[in-house]
Formats: sequence, structure tokens, C-alpha cells
Amino acid sequence: MNRKKGDKGFESPRPTTHQVVCINNINFQRKSVVGYVELTIFPTVANLNRIKLNSKQCRIYRVRVNDLEAAFIYNDPTLEVCHHESKQRNLNYFSNAYAAAVSAVDPDAGNGELCIKVPSELWKHVDELKVLKVHINFSLDQPKGGLHFVVPNMEGSMAERGAHVFSCGYQNSTRFWFPCVDSYSELCTWKLEYTVDAAMVAVSNGDLVETVYTHDMRKKTFHYMLTIPTAASNISLAIGPFEILVDPYMHEVTHFCLPQLLPLLKHTTSYLHEVFEFYEEILTCRYPYSCFKTVFIDEAYVEVAAYASMSIFSTNLLHSAMIIDETPLTRRCLAQALAQQFFGCFISRMSWSDEWVLKGISGYIYGLWMKKTFGVNEYRHWIKQELDQIVAYELKTGGVLLHPIFGGGKEKDNPASHLHFSIKHPHTLSWEYYTMFQCKAHLVMRLIENRISMEFMLQVFNKLLSLASTASSQKFQSHMWSQMLVSTSGFLKSISNVSGKDIQPLIKQWVDQSGVVKFYGSFAFNRKRNVLELEIKQDYTSPGTQKYVGPLKVTVQELDGSFNHTLQIEENSLKHDIPCHSKSRSLEMFADSPLLWIRIDPDMSVLRKVEFEQSDFMWQYQLRYERDVVAQEEAILALEKFPTPASRLALTDILEQEQCFYRVRMLACFCLAKIANSMVSTWTGPPAMKSLFTRMFCCKTCPNIVKTNNFMNFQSYFLQKTMPVAMALLRDVHNLCPKEVLMFILDLIKYNDNRKNKFSDNYYRAELIDALANSVTPAVSVNNEVRTLDNLNPDVRLILEEITRFLNMEKLLPSYRHTITVSCLKAIRVLQKNGHVPSDPALFKSYAEYGHFIDVRIAALEAVVDYTKVDRSYEELQWLLTMVQNDPVPYIRHKILDMLTKNPPFTKNMESPLCNEALVDQLWKLMNSGTSHDWRLRCGAVDLYFTLFGLSRPSCLPLPELGLVLNLKEKKAVLNPTIIPESVANNQEPVNSTNNHGQSVGFQNTFSNSQEEEEIDMDTVHDSQAFIYHHLNMLERPSTPGTSKFIGKEQSSGEMNMHPVSAAPLSVFSKESNSSKHSDHHHHHHHEHKKKKKKHKHKHKHKHKHDNKEKEKDPFAFSNSPASARSIRSPSLSD
Amino acid sequence: MLQSYISEIGRSAKSYCEHTARTQPTLSDIVVTLVEMGFNVETLPAYAKRSQRMVITAPPVTNQPVTPKALTAGQNKPHPSHIPGHFPEFPDPHTYIKTPTYREPVSDYQVLREKAASQRRDVERALTRFMAKTGETQSLFKDDVSTFPLIAARPFTVPYLTALLPSELEMQQMEETDSSEQDDQTDTENLPLHMSTDDSGPEKENASVLQQNTSLSGSRNGEENVIDNPYLRPVKKPKIRRKK
Repeated sequence: MNRKKGDKGFESPRPTTHQVVCINNINFQRKSVVGYVELTIFPTVANLNRIKLNSKQCRIYRVRVNDLEAAFIYNDPTLEVCHHESKQRNLNYFSNAYAAAVSAVDPDAGNGELCIKVPSELWKHVDELKVLKVHINFSLDQPKGGLHFVVPNMEGSMAERGAHVFSCGYQNSTRFWFPCVDSYSELCTWKLEYTVDAAMVAVSNGDLVETVYTHDMRKKTFHYMLTIPTAASNISLAIGPFEILVDPYMHEVTHFCLPQLLPLLKHTTSYLHEVFEFYEEILTCRYPYSCFKTVFIDEAYVEVAAYASMSIFSTNLLHSAMIIDETPLTRRCLAQALAQQFFGCFISRMSWSDEWVLKGISGYIYGLWMKKTFGVNEYRHWIKQELDQIVAYELKTGGVLLHPIFGGGKEKDNPASHLHFSIKHPHTLSWEYYTMFQCKAHLVMRLIENRISMEFMLQVFNKLLSLASTASSQKFQSHMWSQMLVSTSGFLKSISNVSGKDIQPLIKQWVDQSGVVKFYGSFAFNRKRNVLELEIKQDYTSPGTQKYVGPLKVTVQELDGSFNHTLQIEENSLKHDIPCHSKSRSLEMFADSPLLWIRIDPDMSVLRKVEFEQSDFMWQYQLRYERDVVAQEEAILALEKFPTPASRLALTDILEQEQCFYRVRMLACFCLAKIANSMVSTWTGPPAMKSLFTRMFCCKTCPNIVKTNNFMNFQSYFLQKTMPVAMALLRDVHNLCPKEVLMFILDLIKYNDNRKNKFSDNYYRAELIDALANSVTPAVSVNNEVRTLDNLNPDVRLILEEITRFLNMEKLLPSYRHTITVSCLKAIRVLQKNGHVPSDPALFKSYAEYGHFIDVRIAALEAVVDYTKVDRSYEELQWLLTMVQNDPVPYIRHKILDMLTKNPPFTKNMESPLCNEALVDQLWKLMNSGTSHDWRLRCGAVDLYFTLFGLSRPSCLPLPELGLVLNLKEKKAVLNPTIIPESVANNQEPVNSTNNHGQSVGFQNTFSNSQEEEEIDMDTVHDSQAFIYHHLNMLERPSTPGTSKFIGKEQSSGEMNMHPVSAAPLSVFSKESNSSKHSDHHHHHHHEHKKKKKKHKHKHKHKHKHDNKEKEKDPFAFSNSPASARSIRSPSLSD
Repeated sequence: MLQSYISEIGRSAKSYCEHTARTQPTLSDIVVTLVEMGFNVETLPAYAKRSQRMVITAPPVTNQPVTPKALTAGQNKPHPSHIPGHFPEFPDPHTYIKTPTYREPVSDYQVLREKAASQRRDVERALTRFMAKTGETQSLFKDDVSTFPLIAARPFTVPYLTALLPSELEMQQMEETDSSEQDDQTDTENLPLHMSTDDSGPEKENASVLQQNTSLSGSRNGEENVIDNPYLRPVKKPKIRRKK
């Protein structure tokens, strides 16, 4: 795998072979860092007189090259993406500018924020291709990203307070804390030195060579050596008063946690050696580094972050032996981190477009570990879950492309034009997209495995690893280090070498192009021919889909057994005849056909969504008799549509079957609840699941009392947790939760007794509260009635009683991860939303404050986000956005944006009083410059902006001054292309073409047409229309030339009518007009404009119909306003 | 006057008796006293035998009140041999005999569970209400702050500690339910190496703590010598030639 031109069009002119990072002072009080770096550079080209490095937010004091002072320039275009205050507020424009800014500092293209001029004295030296040593002194003051300081506000020394600092970030984020070539593809060896307080420990990559006291003995210096060539982006650091635990099974593995958590650390990491053994065994390769460190820190950026020879975990993954639910989750995180040690850290990537290989392989071997540890059922369930997720995401957004190839900068070749961000760089990627990208990558690896067998697959991995480890021991000059980088082409070549199979079609389908397959299947049984006529249709026109051509496995379960058929899906063949083996006549009960059930693509060997039609009894058979858990889950979902006693029986039987996979049983609970609700009028017997629960978990002698908790059997534990939650979804004929069920759940809470249990019941109790919340139905009369205690529903009173007690008890005896508080907060929000309790965000806001446990904060924030949406509260939205900017925890900042995007207060096609210019400016500012310290956060802001306003100029903004552009060449006045409503742009309607409406209607006429459509809210229309009208009026005055003006006029007015909503600004007249904030904004006359109109608006605010007179007045009203007077003088028109 | 006279007789008599190292006055003491007080003792017998003296008759003998039959219960116990016969008889047996009575233990599981549950609930409610009354509260209803008082949310300085560490109650339960399991020792040695002061003395201690650590974790696994982890090695002293 020599570095080829094709793999990477660019060869670094400044390859670094070795880098020293020395941080000699870390001040926790001031949150500052002082240090230097020294890069050893081997020039590969003569006349290298400038060296570009990556560096963000560092203050650089001094740069020396071979001990000579060197001049340098620091320029970071990503600090502010759109420099000149862009009035367009157009996301398309922003995304392009942002991608360009990231490119401009992309180390893979030889760029960087820091440009060092090689002193002229050394030019000769460089021309001889001799070594350069670049020494940079830098400091970091209160970093906002890259390094995160956690300093609890209390008495005591920093060590006593548990203050710590660690590196964090998304993708290449090392540049945030020291100058380097922040790329995954440029490897070098490292020497890392950290001088820290004597009570602290510095954990970093490579081997700890020695720890030496400083002269005054107050501090000590940790010396690390990393001899395996490693990319700067894989360098990390964690400093804190950590407790040290040497792994009892593997002494080269060391675990670190914050003070007091050692017992938890012992328990949590006690399992890690098994993961090690597993990976080493399947990869037949030793763990590449000589040591491994795990550090558990607070306020983590992500739960798991893998770096060379160390991983940084969230401290919240730690748990004691009493906790059931967290254990598998934490183990998964450990296993994930370890898989990335091999692929991701040790083996790095050639370029961003090869990322999928690394994510794919690490995700794939992690999957193998899952299969071994949690069993095939869990594994298949997981694969199905991941598949459903990626399918849903791709169908929603239009596709995830694993291996983007970028042609020579032509924008039209942009492979991801359906997205609102560029996929050219990891830093422009939406976080959700990246998550889905990783998900797809490992699913595709699994597809490759299906194709070439697991054995070959592992051989390929082994080959990659052994090549890399040979290379890693070589000297730099041997140019072998590139073997440690994986590229798509290299990987595929290895596959074909090892397996001898051609997987090109597979790669082409899933890697080189985006989209998933959508199958619709149905069948008919032809008794005469004893043939199954299967029809499989595809939808490949919707966004996010692609056409599938190739083999497709279909499993037909007949009376005589199961038969696999491989169909060839081709262009135009929809129908497939499959001969049946069994004779239908033999049994009377299967009079119709000998088919029990049919499954399309049972092995999930296509990334697809299948909608298959078969009758209810077939689904029931599939549920009862098919052993594959995926089939069972599919059957359960399908049975929701068949609320019959037979379905009920099938589900109940599954619920009772102890051999059945617990997740299937849990799913069956919810399906049963849905079926019961559909069958409510014919349902006989006690509420669904009640007698079952009683039989399984209640005392024999007194069936209303639950047994004292014993969670030794995890399967029944999970079932016990889930059943009440599902039962609470039951509704009676009045669409209320049956009293019996509510009392039952209240009894479960009352009689819950965990004294004899070996495990904590916090998750169980939390789910009982969830069950209470599920039982809540909307209050009877929501109409403007003030919610008070007196009119509180008695059932709700009982629920509230429990919630209050639980929430208060949490203050005295907090539960693990405060699961109960989380559930209580959610339940309170449900009560508020259903109108039982006055809607009020104050409680949630207090729980959302910094200083609460993160899970609690997120639950509270989620409630505030929901409140913002339901109550359209401007104040809360502002509160949330302030938190996005100021909260100390990066994850919270990210999460708020994420939650706002998922549950937006309004969307681009919606009218909302929240949507106003100030908000646009605020969000724009946030993504333009407010989030430059965190790639993930910036992309989150972009996502939110997209959700709220869409790709084009937000409709609530007044049209820009240059709303009409006079094209002097063509002598036409057209709408400024930047302000064309999105719907028009999408329809590809040529804006400046001739009048395609053919009729020449006057403005007033068009206007009255629109009046007939009552939907158009005049408030929203007149803003822009009046404005345009005014401009047009100006045009119509004698001074303007030619006929073009009419075209322009009709054009715009026509469009107005066609797209009234999207073109119309969503009017907002919040009481605090934010115009003052934007006084520098040169549109200020529009603000005045608005203000003037405000009074006007209130007049007919509540009128649904606007009488014509008023409308006719409207446009004219503006000619009197000073604003319009000003626009007459605007340069665009006077020119 | 008579009273003071009599008390003077008593006092003097006592003094005389004490003078002769006795505690009980005898007749002669009184005689001496009377003589001392100028009383002619010889006249006393004559006075006593005077004819018109008053005779106080002895009180009439009343019959022992018979305890009503209804109130006696059982036979009075005869005196055991070591108690002289003149001592009063034992009282009725019912006054001293105790018959311990046990209420039939409530073995009904349902009632027990019911009781335990409601007891716990009452305690919890009382406790939380008390806490709510004594501290800051939040309320779900603006018009009513007392029916569902919520203890106000208070941020922690180190939120993860309370969230992750099992509460004492849980620890206790864990020990009870599984006493065989070795309880996780939170050995003080493993607590973070404490900040040392300026002189080199504590540094040595620190180093020794580190070594202790080594031996500690080593001995736990019974292979003291094998563990060679760089983080357990002692911290080196600065080299002398190094400046600053």
C-alpha cells in the first residue's frame, strides 16, 4: 500500500518525523496552559520557505527554526466564516463558505492556520533537504474547546477539589491545544512532557518513561515516549488527582478515576481483560501498544474517546456491582474503545474519505465481540436496530455516503447536494450524520463479510495490522510509515488478494453511492401449479433510496420445512415464481396454502427496508415458530395491524415463554397494549398483561402484592420493568387509562421492597414512574381553565403524590445516576402537557442548572425545549440559547442544540411568533463565529438553523435592500436570486426567464386574486409584497427604462401567489423588539418599518378574514413611511 | 413555754448521753438533766400517783378486716422456711405472679407487607414533608405551595459523586445480602497522593506511599514482584545539574 497519487493527491511538503510537546505549567485556577512544541521536519521539496501548521486558540509567543527567530502569521478563517456581515442569512451560502474555510486550513492539503516563514538563512539548508527543527512557544488561556477544565467550586487545593483537565473534541481537535499538523494521515513519533502539581497525575499517550520532581519539589514532570508513529489527532491528555488502579489481570493496563470512585473503577474495569483477549484472539495479533490506559473523567465530551494507547471515558460509566442496566452499556463502551485502539489509533486513515474503513472495521469487530459476549440474539437484534436507524435516517435526509470522491472542485459534482452541509470535511458534518455514517460503515463491513466469509475478513484485518506493526518499528527514512494508514483502495486490494473475490459491485452499491433500498413485497399462492407467486417492488425514486439489482434471499417456511430461495432482482422483473414443496391437500387447517410464512432478505444482507404483506396468521406463525429474533420482532410489529384474539394469544404466549429472547418479550408487551386498545370493545378478562404479571411477579397467596424484589434473573427483571410501562398505555372506551391498571401500578410502587435484593432497584422504580406518566391522559377541559389544585383529577392527585414523594426522597437518598429524578421530571412535564398541572418551566430550569447530574440536566432541558415549543415561549428559547453559548459542559451545549433540532419550536414552513429577525441574527452569529471552538457545536447550530429556516434566506427577514436587481446587460429587473424562496429554487423554476404565466396582470389584480385564498395571512404577506410593490412603483415611474420592469413585477407577484407561505415573512412582533441590538445592521429602516406597522397589525390581529379595503390600504400605507422613502433613494434603484 | 422546756430537757439529755459516748439517752441522763434544770426529781413519783390524774384508755381492739372473698385469688403462699413466721403473709398471688402473655404473632404475609409498606410510606412522607417545611421548596401550583411541596433542587459542587456512589443504605444492604463477598476496601492509602509541602521530607513519604501501593495491590494478587507499572514507580529526584 504505498502511497499513491490516487489515494492522496497531495504529498505533505513538511512531513514531521518527531514532535516534542512540553507543557510546563498548568494553572487550574486561571485555566491556562503554557508550553512549547518542537517539530522535527524533513523537507521533501526544495524551496520550502513557508511551513504551515495547525493551531487554534493558542497564543504563540515565539517561533524559532533551527534556533533562528522566524516570522509567522496566524490566520484562522474558521473563526468567523462569513467575514463581511452577510445580509443574506442564507444557509447555502454559509455552508459553502464554511467548507471553504475548513479547506483553507486543512492539513491534508498542506494548509494550516499558522504560517511560519523559514528564515532566509536556512533556505540553502532546506534546499539540501536537511532537517528543520521548529520550536514554538505557546500558551492557552481559558480554552473553550480542545482542552476541558473541570474545576469544582469549593474549598481546598485543586487536588482535593478533584479538579482535572483533559483533551477532547471531535475528529482533528488537537490543534486546539498545541500547534501541530493536525491530520490523521501524518504520523510521527512523540515525546510528551507534562509538569503538574505533585498531587496530580498526567496521563498521556505512550510509555511513561519517568516521573521527576521539579527542583522545588512542588511539582513533578511526567515524561512520555510514544515510539509508534502516531497522528497528532490521536494525541490526548488527562491531568487530575486520579486514583490509580493497575489492572490485576494485565499489569500493563492502568485505570484512572477521580477521587473516591476507586471501588467503582475496580468493578467496572474488572471485565476489560476479556475484551482484550477476544480482540487479540480474533485478530491473531497482539495489542499494538506496550501499554493501555483508561481514564474516567467528569463532563466528558463524548462517552468514549479513543486515542493512541489510551481512552478517555465519561466517569458516568462507572458503576457498582449492584447496578444491572449500566453494566452491559459500560462494557459496550469499553469494547468499542478497545476496537478503536487497533483501527483508528494504531492504524490511521489516509484521508477523510477513507474514514469509513476504520469506523467500519472497528464497528465490525466490536459487533463480533457483542455476538460472543451477549449472544447471537442480542447481536442480531443490534444489527436490526442499526439497520432500521440508518434506513430511517437515509430516507429522511437523502442518504449517507461512505466514500465521497470529490472531483476537481466542481460544485455540481457535490455528492451530497441533498444535505445542508458539506461532507467534504469531517468538521462540516452534522453530528447525527456522523453517527449514522459510523453505523452504516460497520453494516457495510458486515455485508462484505457475508460476501467473503468471516475467515477471510479476519485475515484481511490481520494483514493490515501486521503490515502496520512492521512499519511502525521502522525508521522514518524507510518511508514505510504510510503502511500504517489505511485507504479505501488499499483495503479493497487486500480483500481481493486474500479472498480472491470481486466485491466491487458491493462497494459500488453501498460505499460509492448513498441511499438504501426500499422493498415492497406481496405474494399469491397458485394452488393449481403449487407455486408461490412473489411480487417484489422497489421504490427508488424517493430521496435516500437506490435501486437494487442482484441476488436476494427469500426464505419460505412451508409445512414441510424451511426453504431458501435466491432470487435475482433485475431491472424489470417484479414477479418471481417459487415452486412449493409441500402439498396443500394434506392438512385441512391449512386449506389455503401450505405456506406458513415468508421472509425477504432474512439475513439482512442488503441495507433495506422491507414492507411485506402476509396475512395475520402467517405473522402469528412467524412469531411463534421462527427462531430468529429479528423475524419475531418483525412479526410483532406487523401484528399491531391485526387486533384479533389470535394475535392476542400469540403475543401472550410469547410473553410467557421463558426461552424466548427477553427483548422480543419486551416488545410484545407494547404490541399487546396496542392490540388491546384496538380491541377495547371486545376485550374480555382483566386488562392485558395484568394476570400475567400477577402470576410471574406477585405473591401466590396475595395476588395484589408484588414479591419482594429479586433481580437475579435478568430476563425477568427486564420484563418486570417493562410490563407496567406497557400496561399503562392501555385505554378504556373513554380513552382513559383503566382505573384498575392505575391502582395496580400504584400498588407496585407501594409494595416495592428491595431490602433483600442484591441489586439496586433504581431503574425499576424509575420505570414505574414512567408507567405512571404513561397512564396520564389529557385533562377533560383544557379550555382556558386555570389549572389549580381544586380541580385536580383525583387519579392525578394520586400520581402527583407519588411523584412528589419520589422526587423528594431523591434529595435524601439519591439513586444511581438519579434515574428517579429523571423519570419524575419527565412525568411532571407529561402532567403539564396534558393540562393537569399548570405549564411552567421554572422547575425544569432549576434542575437544568450547572451542578446537577448530567442526566438530570438533560431531562430538565428536554422539558424546557418542549415547553418552548408548546408554549411558543421566546423567553425560554433565549434562555436555552444563552446556555448553548455559556454552559461550562460541552456536551450540554451540544445536546441543547440537538434537542432543539429534534423538537424545534417551529420549522421553516411554519408560522410562529418566535421566528423573527433577531433570532435569525442570533443563530447566524452563533454558527458564524460563536461556536468556532467546537466543530460539533457549530455543526449543531447549522442543523438547528436548517430546521428552523431551511436552506434559503429565512422567510421572516424583510427582503434585502437589493431585493430587485437591475440586470443592466439584459435590461431586466429580477428578484435577487439570493432571496428566492426555497420552494421556487427547488422547483428549478428559472427565475429570470420570461413571464411564464403568460398573462399580464396588474399588481392590484394579482393581489386581489390572492385575497381569494383565505389562507394567506395579510400580516405576513404585506411586509414583502408591499416592499416589492413599492419598488415596482418606483420602477413604473417615468424615469425607469423599458419593459423589463413589468416582467420583473409580474414575476415577483406571481410567485407571491404561488408560494405565499414560504415567500411571506413570518411576522413576529414580540414585545421586546430586538432592533436595538442590530443597530449596526444596515437594514434598520425595515425595523422602523415594522414598528410602524405594529399598531396597524394589532387592529386586525384576530380577524381571520381581511376585508378588501384594509388590504388595499396596506400597501399604500408604506408609501408614507420614512422607510419606503428611504428605499427610493437606495443605490440599487438610483443607479 | 412548755414546749421549749420539754425540748430543752430532750436536748440536754441527748448532750449528756453523748457526753458519755452513747447514742440513746437513758433514764439517768434525763434525771441528771432535770436536776440540772433545777427540778426536784423526788416530787415526780408523787405527782404520778396523784389521785386526780387523767387516765387515757387503750384504743378498742378492732377486728382484722376480712378481705372479701371475691378479691382473693388463689391460695396465699406459705412462708418459706427461712422467713420467720411473724412476718406478714404473702399478699394474694395475683399481685405478684406474672404470666407473660404473647399476642399471637401476625404471620399473615399480606398484612405484614401491607404494614411494612405503609410504614415506610408514612416515614418517607413525614420525612420529606419535614424537609420540605424546613427548607426551600418549589411548587407545581402557583396558588398552593403546601399540598405537593418539592424540596428545592440544589446544585452540587461535585454532582457525579452522589449520582454514582451507592448510598450508605445500599452499601449496608449489599453487605447484608451478600456478606460473603469481600467488601470493597476503600483503603486510605489509595486516596490521592496528598499535596506535599516544601521540604523533601514528605516527598519521601509520598514515595513510600507509592511503594506501599505497589505492595498493596501486589499482595492482593499474591504476586508482589511481578507488577511493574510505571505509575507505581517512585518519583525521581531532580537531577542536580539541571537548572531550575
